[in-house]
Amino acid sequence: MTRPPVVALFPEASFGAALNCVAIAQALRAQGAVPVFICHPGFTGIFVEYGFREYHLHPAARPGPAAAPEDHWQGFINRHLPHFDLSPFDQLATYVGPTWAAIVDTAIAAEPSLGETIARIRPDAIVLDNVIMFPAIANAGCPWIRVVSCAETEIADPRVPPYLSGLDAGDRAECDAFRREYRRVTATASARYGALRRAHGLTPLKPGVFLELSPAMNLLLAPSILRHDRAHPLPAQRLRYLEGCVRTEARYDVPVLPANDGPLVYLSFGSLGAIDTALITRMIGVFADIPARFLVNVGGFPDAYRQVPDNVYLAGWFPQPSVVAQCDLFIHHGGNNSFCEALHAGVPSLVMPYCWDGHDNGRRAETTGTGRRLDRAGWSDADLRAAILGLLADAPMRARLGANAERMRADPGPQAAAAAILGVIDESAVGRDTPRARTGHGA
Amino acid sequence: MGERRKRARKSHADLARLVLDMTRERGMRPGAHLSEQVFAESCAVSRTPIRAAFKMLSENGFLTARPGGGYALAIDADAPGALATARLDTQEDALAEMILADRAARRLDDAPSVSFLARRYSVSRVAVLNALKILQAEGIIDRLPGQSWCFRPILDTPRALADSHQFRLALEPQAILTPGFALDPRRALVLRRQMQEMRAAGEGRIAAAAFARLDAEFHGLIARGAANAFMRDALLAHHRLRLITERDSGVPEFRLRQSLQEHLDILDSLERYQFDIAADQMALHLRLSRNPRPDAANRGGPPLLRLPGAALRAGPP
Repeated sequence: MTRPPVVALFPEASFGAALNCVAIAQALRAQGAVPVFICHPGFTGIFVEYGFREYHLHPAARPGPAAAPEDHWQGFINRHLPHFDLSPFDQLATYVGPTWAAIVDTAIAAEPSLGETIARIRPDAIVLDNVIMFPAIANAGCPWIRVVSCAETEIADPRVPPYLSGLDAGDRAECDAFRREYRRVTATASARYGALRRAHGLTPLKPGVFLELSPAMNLLLAPSILRHDRAHPLPAQRLRYLEGCVRTEARYDVPVLPANDGPLVYLSFGSLGAIDTALITRMIGVFADIPARFLVNVGGFPDAYRQVPDNVYLAGWFPQPSVVAQCDLFIHHGGNNSFCEALHAGVPSLVMPYCWDGHDNGRRAETTGTGRRLDRAGWSDADLRAAILGLLADAPMRARLGANAERMRADPGPQAAAAAILGVIDESAVGRDTPRARTGHGA
Repeated sequence: MGERRKRARKSHADLARLVLDMTRERGMRPGAHLSEQVFAESCAVSRTPIRAAFKMLSENGFLTARPGGGYALAIDADAPGALATARLDTQEDALAEMILADRAARRLDDAPSVSFLARRYSVSRVAVLNALKILQAEGIIDRLPGQSWCFRPILDTPRALADSHQFRLALEPQAILTPGFALDPRRALVLRRQMQEMRAAGEGRIAAAAFARLDAEFHGLIARGAANAFMRDALLAHHRLRLITERDSGVPEFRLRQSLQEHLDILDSLERYQFDIAADQMALHLRLSRNPRPDAANRGGPPLLRLPGAALRAGPP
């Protein structure tokens, strides 16, 4: 008697990772597996709406005075919004260091509940799309698969610029200085994380590293057009590059605007970026005089906008893959999912990064000729207008991106990821000599 | 235009929109023949109104009349903007629709003047006043003393969406429990067929706007069945407001199909006269339909650990 393999997906509590995992889960379901989600409390109900069962972690009490979640979130925003105008180097001490400390806090808090949850699910494999390893996953007794849905810079290499730096690998001195400062600002978090690992029987990782490669399989969301030439190639037998990872969404009909002429431009800085209503308001002011139509994701802050121009349409949420497929330019923050969705649709990117791997993808868009980067703090109206019109008029870039999109669509990432995951389960079942998890799928 | 003719035109326009939605759900290509008989059966109406809807669609470029009789699809229903149907409305309805769309899109202030609106839409003050009266009748705008008008709240903020959800949760199950609740069996049959057809549409073929129209029809059917006139009127007005101002289209297709199945299950219970079960199913359906959005940050932001029992936010942070 066999049963379909159960795959527990555990995405980081971010839109990018969550929706990336939804795409993989949709493909796993189509290939006969039973995907379920281990869910951060902030994502309750998200995966259910895509038809997947959710298992919830119980949040341990946070250290410090009790605060309503909304207050906690608002506090985070108020504290960090000014930091997003800083250079990647200056963000290390102000944003990256504190954020790693918070991520380690969540890993420590989640550990007991995560162990219990995995024991309840009894998965045949765990898919981890995160930036930190949880000891409960390493000790779960089943193979785990790492998904790197951040920029490829997350996996260090001498020829790859340092993670979160936005640098070019050729800037040796700057890269070295960034790496040193990164290790310095993450030293305390690294030490605390090392203690957590030791307490659960795992070897601590190198300073500044919070997640190792999986011994079973690693899935990198790094389309060929963006990929770096590595000094030390990643181990081919436990690695699968994904040419995009785009989920299926309901169809989106672009609304008819009062000024309904011209190409379609989509602006989304993600859920975190939508908090910067002053930036988006200023951009909308520039859009008003550009002969194009603009769809603008304003997240939960529609109240911040008045007198919206006739060629601009605001909404708190767009089914992004469906929208990007219909647009001519995507202005985003350099989140890896957004960048890959633009590439998958053959659409150029105007990247205005504010933190994390957005800096790396902004640089990569320029280097690979797949888009442009614009400093979110230092642009003039003329700069923004020129960047938009320049990208819309760049026929060679459009042709290059169109051909690349065809190549990406010929090798769909979700299906490749699902096959690789089921291949790992097959190998594991052979090793354990148990028939229950055999799938008949190859990697 | 007389009231009866206006109503007839609106009814034909609604039917015409439904026909277009169905061509897309069925994956029909340009040039495909539209059978009066098939669409009459799917929409559960006679062939006469279907013929009128086909004629209206033909006059507006969606269908072409075939030389030997009948109609063919003239558009690629999958093409962006192909199903923009504002041109099916009367001039007054179209102006009212534009004003409302601009209000929902935050292009208009809370209290726009008639002269400003006349300039904006290049129409007469009389035309603006007629459109505003339509919106007034819909409960969307109030006439203040003097010549000014003021918009009432619409479903355009996370808070308004949360209030709407709470309002519906309080009233819709209770509407089913009003002694004397009576379902319109003919209308229920029509909706059942339409919802079954939409639910069976292929992957990626359910359009959010078409779902919203059918959803409003279903909940309107329930409201009209209530034996309490105040409840009925309050719910009908609210469903109209939802249909024209709610703009949240981020519901995954899986949930849309699930939602259609929940509608069908509620109809099953109502047709078995199991009103208490139907009311419970309605409450559950509404709770499940509250589109959750994460309270979490982007990658690189520490996740927000939400405490048990904390309310879901109605929109994304």
